[in-house]
Amino acid sequence: MNGATAICGLGLTEMGRVYERTATDFAVEATLLALDDAGLEKADLDGLLINAGITQGIDLSLVAALGIPRLNVLTQMNAWGSSAGQMVGYAAMAVANGLANHVACVFADAPLVPGEATGKAYAGGRRRVRGGMGSLYPLYGYFGAIPFYAMSARRHMDLYGTTQDQLGAVAVQTRAWAEHSPRATKREPLTLDQYHASPWVVEPFHVLDCCLVSNGGVCIIVTTAERARSLRQPPVYVRGLAQAHQFDLARTELDSSTEGAGAVSARTAFAMADATLDDVTICELYDCYTYTVISTLEDYGFCKRGEGGPFVESGVLGPGGSLPTNTGGGELSAYYMWGMTPISEAVIQGRSQGGARQVEANDLILVTGNGGMFNHHATLLLSPTAS
Amino acid sequence: MGDQTDWIPTPDEQSAPFFAGARDGKLMLQHCNACQRWLHPVRSRCPLCASTDLEWAKASGRGVVYSHGLLQRASHPRHEGRLPIVLAVIDLEEGVRFSSNLVEVEPERVRAGMPVEVAFEPVSEAALPVFRPVDPTFRREG
Repeated sequence: MNGATAICGLGLTEMGRVYERTATDFAVEATLLALDDAGLEKADLDGLLINAGITQGIDLSLVAALGIPRLNVLTQMNAWGSSAGQMVGYAAMAVANGLANHVACVFADAPLVPGEATGKAYAGGRRRVRGGMGSLYPLYGYFGAIPFYAMSARRHMDLYGTTQDQLGAVAVQTRAWAEHSPRATKREPLTLDQYHASPWVVEPFHVLDCCLVSNGGVCIIVTTAERARSLRQPPVYVRGLAQAHQFDLARTELDSSTEGAGAVSARTAFAMADATLDDVTICELYDCYTYTVISTLEDYGFCKRGEGGPFVESGVLGPGGSLPTNTGGGELSAYYMWGMTPISEAVIQGRSQGGARQVEANDLILVTGNGGMFNHHATLLLSPTAS
Repeated sequence: MGDQTDWIPTPDEQSAPFFAGARDGKLMLQHCNACQRWLHPVRSRCPLCASTDLEWAKASGRGVVYSHGLLQRASHPRHEGRLPIVLAVIDLEEGVRFSSNLVEVEPERVRAGMPVEVAFEPVSEAALPVFRPVDPTFRREG
């Protein structure tokens, strides 16, 4: 698999508080943009993988909306935040084995509605509370994912002494990249003091520890390495791919302070790519929360378990740092397209199309996806070179 | 928040013993008679041994804080005027993890590993299991 396939097309719609457009409409536009980006016609598309966001706004009917008469590969997938990486992985396996020639991987969602706060989109404000045990959760104050991720972060702080400043260091360095990213929703400079002044949601999370919510769509097209070399854009080769999922049957939440699914997924992907952590020059990590970045860096072994706080505080992630991370502004500052956020920026960096934020050394780009409560993980290792 | 069914504890057939127990001051959990493990949340089949021989039984109500957070935004009518509320996931002695609130505690003194015990708070016609520190020196007046 190492270098046998490549990403040849990227389509990004406008994103953010873009109203009066359906998820399907975003998905169609993203797909057409990706085809045009690659220099492909709609008729060239013979595979389609679909991942709907929180509103479940797209499904198999996307095929009809796109006006595609036949496909060799088609399915709708969901493993939350790791879906996008998994879609690219399945697409790569499909084209490498001759099931299809060009597989489009599509994510689109439109959870933001006019006049409603961003937090409501994922907090269950429009979702019915179930009866039974589930009816307890809103009484306690459990809404969406924020409380559980906040408590994961707090456990890390209790066990290892991780500080609020260190969570803030992730937000500040991510924003420093976003300043140079034309697509980023939040581009104004952010100081650590401003981070601390940001309102609390669930301590230890400020608003600025939490990702954005965005309306929009992204499409990535995967083809064989050979085919990609004849298309319009510089190929971004898939050098390694993996996924891992972990559950605790007795307990309902996972201990994120021990080795996570990311560590397992990493081993498979790096073995496939015949690469090590030292080869990674750029990280595009799933940053649903600041803490997720710290946890992921530890899972991958960039620092020891429990040392993620001091590691990020040293400034390695931001512009000029030794481990450029979330160079487009990530989900925290740019746009929240689930796992498509890190993948899309990896493609831009892999093509050397990052403009003012381009990292010169783009030899090997680590991309992660994280879904559920650290339950689902996807790894991609992408590169401008096939070997 | 919509109509009241959105925000009052609403037993269904499967969870009725839990809610009935809470009204009587008992933390009820499912227990698997085949593999002797405790289960939470509610299941119709043991996910560990696949047995359907499950029975509701009174749990100890004792455990330790796995982790905690401080809710600073009201997301439910119960929260109004009570913020901040301590969210806490409790590792019960029975080996299951229960998401709840901590009460009668100074939020800044809560740590992972703190021993806690169940208490019950009346809500509408029901009772809500919450937890408080076992060590009375960590408690404050509710």
